[in-house]
Amino acid sequence: MKAKGEKRAVALNSFLSPDQKKQVLRSLHEYKFIFISPEMLGVHSVLERLSEMNISLLAVDEAHCISQWGFDFRPDYLKLGHFRSLLGNPLTLALTATATEEVRADIVKCLGLEKIHEFIYSVDRPEISISVEEAGYQEKQKRVLELAASLQGPGIIYFSSKKMAEQIAAMLRGKGERAMAYHGGLEQENRILIQQQFINGQLNIVCATSAFGMGINKENIRYVIHYHMPLQLESYLQEIGRAGRDGSESIAILLYSAGDEQLSFQLAEGELPDQFQIERLFSSAEEKSISMSEIKQHEELFTGYCGFTETQWRFSADFIESRSKEAFSIIQKKMGNYVTERLQMKKTKIFEMLQYIQHQGCKRSFILNYFGEPSSSRPQKCCSNCQLNNEQYFYKKEPVPAAGPTYYDWKKELASILRQVSETDEKEQIQ
Amino acid sequence: MEITYTEAVILYCLKQLKGERTIFSLYHLYQGKKSSQTIQDAHLYHLTPFFQAFPFISREELARQIERMEKKSLLDKKSNEHFILTSTGDLKLGEYFQANTLPPKYLDGWRHHHLTALFWERLSILVQVCSNLVYQKKSFIPIQNKLETLDWVKAFIKKRQEGRMGLSSTLFLELLNCFQRDKTIDPSILVLRLTGQDRIGLTSGQAAELLGMDHTRYQLEFLNILHFLIGTVSDEAVEFPLLNALIPEAEKPVPFTLSTEKTFQLLNRGYTVEQISRIRNLKRSTIEDHIVEIALHIKNFDLAAYVPKDKEKRILEAAKETSAKKLKLIREYAEDASYFEIRLVLARNGDQKWK
Repeated sequence: MKAKGEKRAVALNSFLSPDQKKQVLRSLHEYKFIFISPEMLGVHSVLERLSEMNISLLAVDEAHCISQWGFDFRPDYLKLGHFRSLLGNPLTLALTATATEEVRADIVKCLGLEKIHEFIYSVDRPEISISVEEAGYQEKQKRVLELAASLQGPGIIYFSSKKMAEQIAAMLRGKGERAMAYHGGLEQENRILIQQQFINGQLNIVCATSAFGMGINKENIRYVIHYHMPLQLESYLQEIGRAGRDGSESIAILLYSAGDEQLSFQLAEGELPDQFQIERLFSSAEEKSISMSEIKQHEELFTGYCGFTETQWRFSADFIESRSKEAFSIIQKKMGNYVTERLQMKKTKIFEMLQYIQHQGCKRSFILNYFGEPSSSRPQKCCSNCQLNNEQYFYKKEPVPAAGPTYYDWKKELASILRQVSETDEKEQIQ
Repeated sequence: MEITYTEAVILYCLKQLKGERTIFSLYHLYQGKKSSQTIQDAHLYHLTPFFQAFPFISREELARQIERMEKKSLLDKKSNEHFILTSTGDLKLGEYFQANTLPPKYLDGWRHHHLTALFWERLSILVQVCSNLVYQKKSFIPIQNKLETLDWVKAFIKKRQEGRMGLSSTLFLELLNCFQRDKTIDPSILVLRLTGQDRIGLTSGQAAELLGMDHTRYQLEFLNILHFLIGTVSDEAVEFPLLNALIPEAEKPVPFTLSTEKTFQLLNRGYTVEQISRIRNLKRSTIEDHIVEIALHIKNFDLAAYVPKDKEKRILEAAKETSAKKLKLIREYAEDASYFEIRLVLARNGDQKWK
């Protein structure tokens, strides 16, 4: 917003230093737009200051996070209802790109909304053909290389594992494709470079984990392949929606091998601590008489003792810290219940994804029904169950030019970047 | 079979350490850990060029690499975390040196580590901004996303008087002149990474692949060029006014760790070790660590208050005699010296050749 010229915008989040926070709070009334993270709604001084002000519009982005039924549930969002009543129930705008009927009802309830208008745009993207292919575990790799070789790019191939993304990207490069891997394990500078190379057309294929894509606006992505199934239809839809933004025909292909869901279950479980870890966490804290409010200071101890992944630790520490005033045994019980419920929820999501994969009817209709929409227009190139055959979308690709020995003239390159005349250019002009 | 570049680097460093330090001290060196121990070791074993040479390496990665080299009989495990070169390892390293140099000529992590990342961030963003300015492109996505760096480049451009064409051509000429100071430098290593208006720079992995270079080697060569640039433009500020302006307060010495800085200020105000220890509520040995760190940084820091001159001489002789930097061995020769005194003397004289 600031870049676009609106200087009266400010962000209140946990990245601010205490001094910066104080300063922002003091001058809060001078701003027209206040961006605030749900975590900050737990801070008393912030709430107090905001409730003194006259807020004319409360906008909640990614509102599906408020719902226990949402795939991205974030407990902090539950504070929003209370927050809204503190502000005197101002006019409220809740936004989300992926919400089923159930989730929408939850949003209304949690925010305490009364008179509502729903504006629902179809999740259907007729320009994207949808295909699900089954391939044996061994054949999948061959298939993805084949697809990458014959489909017209640019394209994104999504993976659940960083390692797999790296491997396939290296194989594709070996075959002369301009491909790179993108995942959360990269250094910041490399992330920006790869993303920009892709947007700029220097790369044709990105082998990515779900870390890639947010905030990327590239219009001409022609295909999105999923090497592993996403954990829920909502993310699947978001990821394939990155194709065809220019309105031209594109395709989404999901590759499935029997048993792939096992990896999904493992991933889902890895995001939360299991009952055994919870047990160990609380018994060791008791033994060492570490109080619940100090939990975050003992990261190394607990991580080692309970075998937490980073995500598991962050969840556990946040969960306990936000309830540190309650009794030990109560927190433990609450955490146990919460984890059981969330895991059940995640499993349901994975089963829905599996249902989608195994659905014998129109895939597009399945997705639309899932989001509570009536069946679709059925575009001509609809889906793999609507007689979409390979030739229809197998564009002949221009052959990859063989990489000959390239002599790199750094002087010429530097001159061209800075729009100067290099010696080499001068010589050429004289000749 | 020839050894890889990574293997050569590790063999070289472990040879310097003579089995007297663990492989984790190597890890701290590569990371550029600002602890008194790491800093002293870097000087003592002449490994200062490698200070912060691989900031992104992980403990596990290094341990795995060393394990592989042990399996290839290049290294011998002395104890759990101590490794020495086998005769094969030593031989291979010797062969390697016949055709290659290590470390690269200008690599000087200790001298430049605190400026390296900053200099690159500023140089790369400045080149991108200049390129977009001269081609009159209005909007682009900056290749660096740190707020400080972006604020810096905005302020920098505003301050310059020469206009967009002038700025670009000054930048071009200074880079060209600087690169041409030493023909052994291959500027492609750096230029490939730069982003202009219509092309995005390569990642280090991509640049290494394009140049057909081992990635570890590429990383060190890239640092080598940056250190060469930083060194040259700060030594010859008059020749390279624009590039020199990328270096913040060019003359600033390597900063102390925060705690050492406090001790240093108290020392300057005349407090003794005991007093500082009491004031700061720190152990005496911690304050002594700080003093050793100070002695490493400040070449004219007077040791006389801590070690009598004649004792210093005896410690030095003992160190030569044992040709080892094991404090225990030295102490057998100079019995009346404390560990603190030995470390202090070694810190001051670490850059001298022993033999």
